[in-house]
Amino acid sequence: MTARRTKVATDAELIARLATGEIGALGELYDRHQAAVFRFLTRATNGAEDVDDLLHQTFLAAAKSAGRYDGRSSCRPWLIGIAVQHLKRRRQSFARLFAVLRSLRDRRTTIVDPRSSLQAKSDIDRALARLSEAKRITFLMAEVEGFSCAEIAETLNVPIGTVWTRLHAARRELRDALGREGSET
Amino acid sequence: MSKPACPRLFEVEAMRDGRLAGMERASFERHMKGCATCAREAEALETIARAAREDVVQDELRVRRARTRLLAAFDGSLVHEERRPTRWLLPAASLVLAAGAVVVWRVAGDDPAPAPPSPSPPSLHATVIEADGAALYSRKLDGRRERVVLERGTLRIAVEHTDGRDDAHLLVTLPDGELEDTGTTFTVTAADGRTTHVAVEEGSVVLRLHERPPIELRAGESWSASIPAPSPPPVAATAPPRPQSPPPADASKDFRDAMAAMNAGDHRGAAARFAQFLEAHPRDARAEDAAYLRVLALHRAGAEEERKEAARLYLERHPSGFRRAEVERLAE
Repeated sequence: MTARRTKVATDAELIARLATGEIGALGELYDRHQAAVFRFLTRATNGAEDVDDLLHQTFLAAAKSAGRYDGRSSCRPWLIGIAVQHLKRRRQSFARLFAVLRSLRDRRTTIVDPRSSLQAKSDIDRALARLSEAKRITFLMAEVEGFSCAEIAETLNVPIGTVWTRLHAARRELRDALGREGSET
Repeated sequence: MSKPACPRLFEVEAMRDGRLAGMERASFERHMKGCATCAREAEALETIARAAREDVVQDELRVRRARTRLLAAFDGSLVHEERRPTRWLLPAASLVLAAGAVVVWRVAGDDPAPAPPSPSPPSLHATVIEADGAALYSRKLDGRRERVVLERGTLRIAVEHTDGRDDAHLLVTLPDGELEDTGTTFTVTAADGRTTHVAVEEGSVVLRLHERPPIELRAGESWSASIPAPSPPPVAATAPPRPQSPPPADASKDFRDAMAAMNAGDHRGAAARFAQFLEAHPRDARAEDAAYLRVLALHRAGAEEERKEAARLYLERHPSGFRRAEVERLAE
């Protein structure tokens, strides 16, 4: 008896099909990678309300730039890179908004991103929420998504030394926070 | 500040970040085998990373809806781009057309023999589509035939058959059937997963809805969901009108119950509930979701034959459904 084998398309093949406008290829890529990109965005933004929109924008941007894909076998790092660009743009928009609010208030206050009032469920989520966004994204890219420090530096457009520093600080802060979480419970 | 228990402790992180290579890395790996402090540090860092790698719980239906939204946006963006040519394209196209006209005129002058039939497919530009603000549609060439897929909203379509070939008709795929144009100008509307109105200004069309005989509509005739056949003249046999009552109020509860069974891992129960939902609310906006989730539930329950049958039913009812590609795989 011979088992029937169905050839599973590689990411590169799917993206090549997507570049020709084949909508089914986008569906397959979404099914394959949405959970990972969603997890990255959820943790990077502390579970912000607009994670679904960011996920949508990431895949839509990927679909539109499919023709420029470099052909590597897994497209997950590429998708995460696109997600990071959207996070940067989002941060700039928030920064502009906060600047306007600050000027309207005409007094010095600590501007707190309202999205930080997260309902984090696990210890790691709470600990990650205490990191600055830059450290959090760097940590997630390195430890969860498996980016090399050189790749992170290139994606975030920062010197590699900054990546090492952020990683070291993020680990130290996470250990402190998780230690506290452990002692509080 | 206390001194670290091992002077090489910092190298744990350096190795993790790829800062150690070659001899340095090999040396530290040997060191770690005999150093409990460094081994503990490596384990602590890995524990934190492992926790961050844990999956985030997602609502399955939300994922499916987000997927549908993404595919619709992508499809819409293609249509949008198609409908908005770049600024240089129009003058360039005018120049090309003008040059083409000159060439044709000269060739015709030299040789009056009829030109051989053109092998090229019918031009998309022979079809003019006006869409209302709510219209969600796409267009593509399917062999020699142009196909417009209308999900919802109203389109007014004017088709000009320049090559006179019978097999080059435009086909409009509707949520619950299709409409074949035979050289005409017409308007078609779809809402809530079904065709609601067709009106023909010129020429004729054939409307084929699921489980209903074809209806031919000629210039001046129209068809509405509440009217089974065109008035003058009765051209084709008509089926009795479908009941037009609104979906019962408990549709949402039925769907929620089916989802709850799915989320609880009761895939058999979920499949049965989705089947009941489809039976009781076939025109509900969630009918495609329910049909797809039923296939998924049967797949997870390991019910191979039932899954194939449910997949075939999905493909039959939603020929242009967003999950078509994956359901086709599940139908095998």
